[in-house]
Amino acid sequence: MNLRQFNSVLRQVFLLPVVALLVTAGALYWQIRGANATVNLIQQSDARISQTILVAKLMVDQESSLRGYETTGDPRFLQPYLEAETHLPIEFARLENVAGEDPEQRRLIADLKNQHQTWTDAFALLVVSQVKAGGETHDVDLNLGGKAMMDHVRQDLDAIILSAETNRITRIARWHQQLHAMLAALMVVALGVGILIGLFTLNRFHTVSAAYQDSLEVLGRRADELFQSEQRMRTTLDSIGDGVITCDAAGCVQIMNPVAQDLTGWTQTEAHGKPLEEVFRIVDQATRASIENPVAKVKRLDRVVGLSNHTVLLRKDGRELDISDRGAPIRDQFGETTGIVLVFRDVTIERKTQEALIANEKLAVAGRLAATIAHEIHNPLDSVSNLLYLMRNGATEEESGQFMAMAEQELARVTQISRAMLGLYRESKTPVQVDLKEMLEEILLLMERRITDLAVTVSTDLPANVSVGAFPAELRQVFTNLIANAAEAAGPNGSIHLCIKPQPRGVDPAGLALQAGAWVIVSDNGVGVSEEVQSHLFQPFFTTKGERGTGLGLWVSQGIVQKHGGIIKLSSDTSADHHGTVVSVFLATNPTINAG
Amino acid sequence: MEKAPHLVLCIDDELIGLQVRKLLLERAGYRVATALNGPQGVEIFSTQPIEAVVLDYYMPGMDGGEVATSMRRIKPQVPILLLSAYVDLPAEVTSLVDLYMTKGEGAPCLLTKLSSLLQPVTAS
Repeated sequence: MNLRQFNSVLRQVFLLPVVALLVTAGALYWQIRGANATVNLIQQSDARISQTILVAKLMVDQESSLRGYETTGDPRFLQPYLEAETHLPIEFARLENVAGEDPEQRRLIADLKNQHQTWTDAFALLVVSQVKAGGETHDVDLNLGGKAMMDHVRQDLDAIILSAETNRITRIARWHQQLHAMLAALMVVALGVGILIGLFTLNRFHTVSAAYQDSLEVLGRRADELFQSEQRMRTTLDSIGDGVITCDAAGCVQIMNPVAQDLTGWTQTEAHGKPLEEVFRIVDQATRASIENPVAKVKRLDRVVGLSNHTVLLRKDGRELDISDRGAPIRDQFGETTGIVLVFRDVTIERKTQEALIANEKLAVAGRLAATIAHEIHNPLDSVSNLLYLMRNGATEEESGQFMAMAEQELARVTQISRAMLGLYRESKTPVQVDLKEMLEEILLLMERRITDLAVTVSTDLPANVSVGAFPAELRQVFTNLIANAAEAAGPNGSIHLCIKPQPRGVDPAGLALQAGAWVIVSDNGVGVSEEVQSHLFQPFFTTKGERGTGLGLWVSQGIVQKHGGIIKLSSDTSADHHGTVVSVFLATNPTINAG
Repeated sequence: MEKAPHLVLCIDDELIGLQVRKLLLERAGYRVATALNGPQGVEIFSTQPIEAVVLDYYMPGMDGGEVATSMRRIKPQVPILLLSAYVDLPAEVTSLVDLYMTKGEGAPCLLTKLSSLLQPVTAS
């Protein structure tokens, strides 16, 4: 159940009682209206009775007044009679009015009026006129007649009152009945509505309770899953061979796995909450300068960063380790950086191994060169020693001259080669300006034999006076390696091309600054290398030459070029028409040498 | 000498070295045929009555080992002296030839070794 459904239940629970009570109130109103009508009828009956009594009183007044006048003959006694005579028509009209449509009442009232009129005409007016005339009115028959007429009037009045009272009693009984019915209905409706509201609310709250139960179960399961996931993560972290430190967004240490604790010398408890730079102190191997805190670097660049080479970690106990590390931001669902993960490992042994491998490759290169040089020197030496033997064993003057010239020519070859060899192993501490044309020509000279053996033709395009800043011995190693690779790739009757392309300072089409320097491009027309092989070419121990190669040549060359702040790149084509490989090396005129 | 001088075939890709060696051997009383590469040498070896071969090991295209193998297939009895600018030659190459020496060991050494190869022929 989501929040929307829950709110809907709340609305239902509020609305249903309101609606039910409104309906109940409507029913009650209808009932009360019925009872009110009955009360009105009762009031009508009351009004009829009191009006009838009023009329009766006026008639009694008339009769009494007439009797006084009849006895005394004094007109003052006749006053009430006259007043009643003027009021009676009005009161009769009122009585007819309050009688409503009841036919029995109407008949009785009409009869009453008739009887009264009869009494007035036949008795009262007669008596009044006789008294006025001074006559005697003690006639018994006349008075008995008047009395009988008045008795009729009284009967009618009683009948009217009786009828109204009967009506009243019936109506009061009806009102009582209605009241009881209303009370019963009220009880029934209250009970019904109460039960309905109760049941409905119960049902709704059952739904909510079931949903709540479900939510609790889901939460419980989630908590279990979370715990298991956390356990998995922890076990994974504990099992991996690299040191892992996670930090919060402020760069304070949160979690360190056992390897990280071992490498830094800090325990999780000691390090927790401390700033990373306190726990993970790193300096540059050569300069001993502090290296930018990885947390700051990740924050600044907002991406995964590999940290610089030659990083030394200062352990808590003061010991030092060569490490390689990388940092990555941890993001929340909105892409905000909420922390940083740092992964690092001890590369002390790895670095030593690399150094040993590089030294080994240097030795292998030196060994191959030594063999070439021995060959190059032995050939002319053999000729010279043979010539000397010939001269010593009786040669003519002319022959001796000729032999000496040949010997000198051969010795000149030895000298040239020995010079080139000396140049090869003259190490310098700082980079010097190296003339590329001179260096490449020297290398070609030393390799001439090997190239001829492979039946490869070499073409060059080497402009003079192009120089770059470099360590000559190392650069020679790179070019020797690249030319040997090219010659071997070209194979018998193949060709290689060597050229130098100076690059002035400027800006490339992509807008990147270009350093002043030169490209040395070595290309061959061999079969080319597939893309799959290309991706491995700069890895150590990868060779396409089987037993003849160490698999270190290009890897070391790349290392040397990178140390020189240069670029080495390889492109190759294996198609039938344009097969071949091009290796380009960029070297700067004034390079920034990376410590090696 | 009653017998006709021995015919020796010299093979070397170094022109000056080859010329000097030819001169040296001629002065020592041999007849000398020369070739600047392996295939040419094998050609001469199979067509002429060569009695001994002075062979350079390190040559472009076909090296001394390959040349010796071909020659053994054609005339196995002809002795071969292998010359090399390298100090160490692989065993499978040295086992193919009768004798071998390093260039620069000097003319007397070459002449001694060559004559020792031809001795049994002279004796028979």
